[in-house]
Amino acid sequence: MIKKKVCMLGAFAAGKTSLVQRYVNSIFSDKYHTTVGVKIEKTQVKIGDALIDLILWDLHGEDDFQHVRLSYLKGSSGCIYVVDGTRGATLITALNLKEVVEKTMGKLPFILVINKSDLKDQWEIDPLILDELHDQGTIVIEASAKTGTKVEQTFQLLTKKMMEE
Amino acid sequence: MGSQADESKTLNTLRELLLKSEKEQILRIENRLDDPMVRAKEISQSLPEAISLSILDSKKLSCVIQPVIDDAIKVSVQKNPKALADALFPVFGPGIRKAISSTIMGMIQSLNQMLNHSFSIQGMKWRFEAFRTRKQFAEVILLHTLIYKVEQIFFIHGKSGIVLDHVVAKDAIIQDPDLVSGMLTAIQDFVKDSFDIDGDLDTLRIGSDKSVWIEKGEHALIAAVIRGTPPLNLRIKYRELMEEIHIKSGAALEKFNGDSHPFLIFREQLEEGLQFQEKQEDQKISPLLFCVFLVIFCGVGIWGFSTYKTTQVWQQYLNRIEAQKGLILLSAQKKEGKYRVTGLRDPLAKDPLGLLQKDTIDPLSIESRWQAFYSLDPYFIFQRAKLILKPPGTIQLELSGNTIIAQGQASHTWIENFRRIAPTIPGINGVKDEKIQNIDMAQLDIALKELTAIRIYFKKNSTVLVENQEHILDILYKSINRIRKLQSRVERSVQIIILGHTDSSGNEKLNLRLSRGRAEKIFSILIVQGIKPAFFSISGIGTKSPLKKESHTEDRQFNRAVSFKIFYGHSKEAANL
Repeated sequence: MIKKKVCMLGAFAAGKTSLVQRYVNSIFSDKYHTTVGVKIEKTQVKIGDALIDLILWDLHGEDDFQHVRLSYLKGSSGCIYVVDGTRGATLITALNLKEVVEKTMGKLPFILVINKSDLKDQWEIDPLILDELHDQGTIVIEASAKTGTKVEQTFQLLTKKMMEE
Repeated sequence: MGSQADESKTLNTLRELLLKSEKEQILRIENRLDDPMVRAKEISQSLPEAISLSILDSKKLSCVIQPVIDDAIKVSVQKNPKALADALFPVFGPGIRKAISSTIMGMIQSLNQMLNHSFSIQGMKWRFEAFRTRKQFAEVILLHTLIYKVEQIFFIHGKSGIVLDHVVAKDAIIQDPDLVSGMLTAIQDFVKDSFDIDGDLDTLRIGSDKSVWIEKGEHALIAAVIRGTPPLNLRIKYRELMEEIHIKSGAALEKFNGDSHPFLIFREQLEEGLQFQEKQEDQKISPLLFCVFLVIFCGVGIWGFSTYKTTQVWQQYLNRIEAQKGLILLSAQKKEGKYRVTGLRDPLAKDPLGLLQKDTIDPLSIESRWQAFYSLDPYFIFQRAKLILKPPGTIQLELSGNTIIAQGQASHTWIENFRRIAPTIPGINGVKDEKIQNIDMAQLDIALKELTAIRIYFKKNSTVLVENQEHILDILYKSINRIRKLQSRVERSVQIIILGHTDSSGNEKLNLRLSRGRAEKIFSILIVQGIKPAFFSISGIGTKSPLKKESHTEDRQFNRAVSFKIFYGHSKEAANL
């Protein structure tokens, strides 16, 4: 059995928790987020014949008042950065976070998830920026916590990338 | 020859051309094999891989090089002990500090318990136990209070917080180990970050009963979830395990990539760490169970007592039956809650059910079969005789041996019955009746005497009765009627002779006729009264056997009379009269 630690990061209220809620097991309440600053969840991904357990460290949203505890990043095999498509600033936060993570941990496989694909008409993010990121090799997935679109694919893709490392 | 030399040259040239590179290679190999420096250089390159392969394969290498290492360490210590001490200091330092602090903690723990228990009743009991077993008091306290159970052990990768292995004690309730382990790691980091602590979090206490012991190594940690108060040496055991893990798999832990498979080799040691000590003595019976036992005990006690009591009452009853005259007990048994009794019973014996004491045994629960028999006990013979013979109050019965003796007065009929029946009564084979007086016979005698005293007087030379003799006639009727009754009762036939008399005056022949006429006169009066004629005989005897000697003329009237005489049976004398 392979187990991988994955960190989920993103701006405050970018929808990290709600994005994965339907796909994970958790025994802890949301109050861990605001107290300890992290909530551990778990999901299973199947790649070929192999089952891989992803231990998701859902880190408290980064904002002006609350910073991500870097010690929680230790031992991670990959990251998911979550952005709220309707709030342009969250993309900047995510990219900043990515930079911090890479400074601490070195390069790690990651996926950039733009949440709220169901409200695309209200998006504040310029598609050109996303294209540019894509061109740089970043995997950008447009997902929806509301409809569940592409959440599973996100886990699948990240796991594949982690296994290739 | 020349051609031969040429041929050889050509062959050499050809060999040179074909095998030049191989030859050079062989030369190089020869050089490598001959030159120890080159070989050493080569081995030094492949040695680390060879060693790691060998470790993966088996422990053979460890065994082989162990003596060499031992020797090397010895030589090193002999040469310069300081070097080794310096090298080991960073390793031992924290360990020693930790061990000392743990020991002090343990001492405080036991001191605490000792103080807690010193003055309690429990404490007194333990003091006594310490005295009895000659152990130290503190030791006894620890023995009783160190009740614990290691419920689960997490073997966690230090950096990622991923569970490498997880063992659980039987019956322990657990959550998803991956999630718990992750959160535990996060909390450790949180505590460390928040409070800027240099050391590691080594114990988490939850309530007074539960704790998590964390034993941290460089790349991994062991977290043991413990209920109760574990002994200190358990922590030492975990530390040793952690050290062993790092010695064996330190490198693998460092390079951990998510595959926990290689670390399953420590499963057995981890399971050994799941220790527990149960409270041995203090297994109290629950109050409910105690009550149930009490009820059962009381029930059995009451049942036993009542059974004993009933058996005793029953036995006493049987004893009474056996002691009773006229009852012979043949069998007595209890079956399906009912008593069955069989035996022989004299009809005059007491009712066996009457021998039951009040409120002891329900008479309805006794099924008895008594067969009648005649007891030959003198008491029963006598009672039976009295019952059959029905003696009148004037008779006294007595039993002498098997002879029944009667005395007193009785009617003729009873006497006859007595004589007839008494010998047939079971148990009686002799009858004595000499002392019985026949009342009927005596009365008959009296009546006959009365009758023979009666005189009825007649007028001179006439068969006409002297006046005022009606009351004498009344007496006569009654007397005759009594005699008739009595004589039939005593079964004796009595004949009454009516004797006619005359005075001495006058002719003898006439006197005989007159006297007969007087007797006939009375006879006819009696017939008129309804008395059977056959009962009487008539005789006129004239002046023969006068009733009074005629000294004076007045005396003659006494002989002008009728008198009565008695004969038993139809005697000749009567016929002649």
